[in-house]
Amino acid sequence: MIETALHPTPRPRDVLREQLRAVGLALRVPAAATVALVGLVTLLLTAELLREGGRVDFHPEHQMLPSVVGLLLPIAVWRGEARFGAGFLWTLPVERRRHALARVFAGWAWLMAAIALFVLWLLAFTLLSGGSLLAEETLRLLPSYSVRAPGPIDPAAVRSVPWTPQPLLWLVPFTAATGTYLLASALALGSRYPLRWIIGTVLGVFLVGAIGDAADVKWLAFGPSNPLESLLNGPYGLDTLFTARTESLKIDVTLSTGESVVVWRGLPDLGQWAAATLLWIGAGVLALLAAASRHREGRPA
Amino acid sequence: MSRLIHSDPEAGACAVATHGLCKRYGGETALEGVDLWVPDGAVYVLIGPNGAGKSTTLKVLMNLERPDAGTAEVFGLDTVRRGPEVRAQVGYVPEHHDHGYRWMTCGRLLRHVAAYYPAWDPAYADHLSRAFDLRLDRRVGALSKGEARRLHLVLALAHRPPLLLLDEPTDGLDPVARNRTLALLAEHLADSPTTVLVSTHQIYEMESLADHIGVLREGRLVAQMPRDELKRTVRRYRIEVPEGWEAPPELRSAGPRRPGAGREFQWTLVGEEREVTDRLTLSGARVREVTTLGLEDAALAFLPEEVSR
Repeated sequence: MIETALHPTPRPRDVLREQLRAVGLALRVPAAATVALVGLVTLLLTAELLREGGRVDFHPEHQMLPSVVGLLLPIAVWRGEARFGAGFLWTLPVERRRHALARVFAGWAWLMAAIALFVLWLLAFTLLSGGSLLAEETLRLLPSYSVRAPGPIDPAAVRSVPWTPQPLLWLVPFTAATGTYLLASALALGSRYPLRWIIGTVLGVFLVGAIGDAADVKWLAFGPSNPLESLLNGPYGLDTLFTARTESLKIDVTLSTGESVVVWRGLPDLGQWAAATLLWIGAGVLALLAAASRHREGRPA
Repeated sequence: MSRLIHSDPEAGACAVATHGLCKRYGGETALEGVDLWVPDGAVYVLIGPNGAGKSTTLKVLMNLERPDAGTAEVFGLDTVRRGPEVRAQVGYVPEHHDHGYRWMTCGRLLRHVAAYYPAWDPAYADHLSRAFDLRLDRRVGALSKGEARRLHLVLALAHRPPLLLLDEPTDGLDPVARNRTLALLAEHLADSPTTVLVSTHQIYEMESLADHIGVLREGRLVAQMPRDELKRTVRRYRIEVPEGWEAPPELRSAGPRRPGAGREFQWTLVGEEREVTDRLTLSGARVREVTTLGLEDAALAFLPEEVSR
């Protein structure tokens, strides 16, 4: 028989609101450092534009910074929290898996806000420098380019094509940061020692390659590098997620005339970007749910 | 192997009950078949040497550790299946002092925790903060051990939880702060209907508040009973025995025999004094003296001699 009046658990929206506040506070220091950095870059860019003229075109999809921020943000989001064991977060009256996901969501919300500000900053720079938002550009296309035969290029093989950037590409910084943030959060939440896993994996790949090289075993030497190349620069690789391939499709070549030019191996494909984004974000969500399940209550010991 | 010495569970409601609780860390046994019974409204003091399993027991009740076997309930709620509801009833002071976010100020941490407890009483939190001389603008990471302890106590008390789980609550406090803490705790218990399960090495500190005592030794609960029963039934007997004397098997020992002069020795036994004396006499021993023990000595009698000394 229970005689004591039991206390209720907090409402989910109160928990979410408090997590947004707490994570916001935890991010104050890195945010202040980022603002200082952006201020410095603004000064330098402004000085250069005033000195040398020119303009900045609006291409948020070219920026790798949001992906890097998404990758590192979980470090700040989970600052001071013992993710395993009797951590402070787990002593509060909320189901642990949901609580962890609430914190990840709070971090993501701040990340999106920060990226929105970053995109607005780029937009302001574009407009102030007289740059264009969606103006048609002429690209040099070289579909026959091969990495394995990088010799001088016949100028006749290069053709000029008109290309208008799609506004949908403005979403790239948001989706790229979301993908890296989800994957990094999954690693932070699912592993006691995430840095050991990252360093161990990188060392493992290099070690296998080095052993293959030393033993002159080609399949071993190149074995890890092919999937790694696909993972980074393949049609659905990280580069597609990060920049919609606007970086990896663009290369510097030397024409047989001796002139150095930037050519495109192909045009950015929105469908491919959308598929890669869905793939990576889907993988991130699944990894995050699996990682959060390590903390769920009620599972057998 | 020790036997559990306890009174029968009371017919009334219980705030905390565990059944056959076991917990192992690798090859180490932290808890072994613990059947804890904390009546509603009791101040239950759990004592035991370091590593006896006191902190583990509290963590299991908070569902911060999962038991390998057995069950635990808080106000009838299974701690594993209904962890969040259980924690909503609990004010918890952990054993370690780095509980909370070091980068937050004390005031912000109080507001943070308040958001999780609909029953949080801001006026009471202010009162406790003032009473504990807590500077709310200080960062948690800059607090001394004693200050951190006081902050933990405010966090635990300010939502007036039905159950307090206090793991060494006075650890790190200076004597003045310790007395003030115990006075505030007594005041809290007078104002709010609360059950307290407190683990401590310093049983004398809790002597004025405790009404139930449990003794953990090497992960086993070797004794639990109301304070009055402990004081009434645990006595030290000075007895003289004949050559070749063997102790009656039905006697319940609370500790080793300490040799005295000649064939005399002292032995702490559990049971009604008349009953124990009759059994000793029937077995051929002569009871020379019976000493009443204070609460601390009675409880410590269940611990190994090197701990209780």
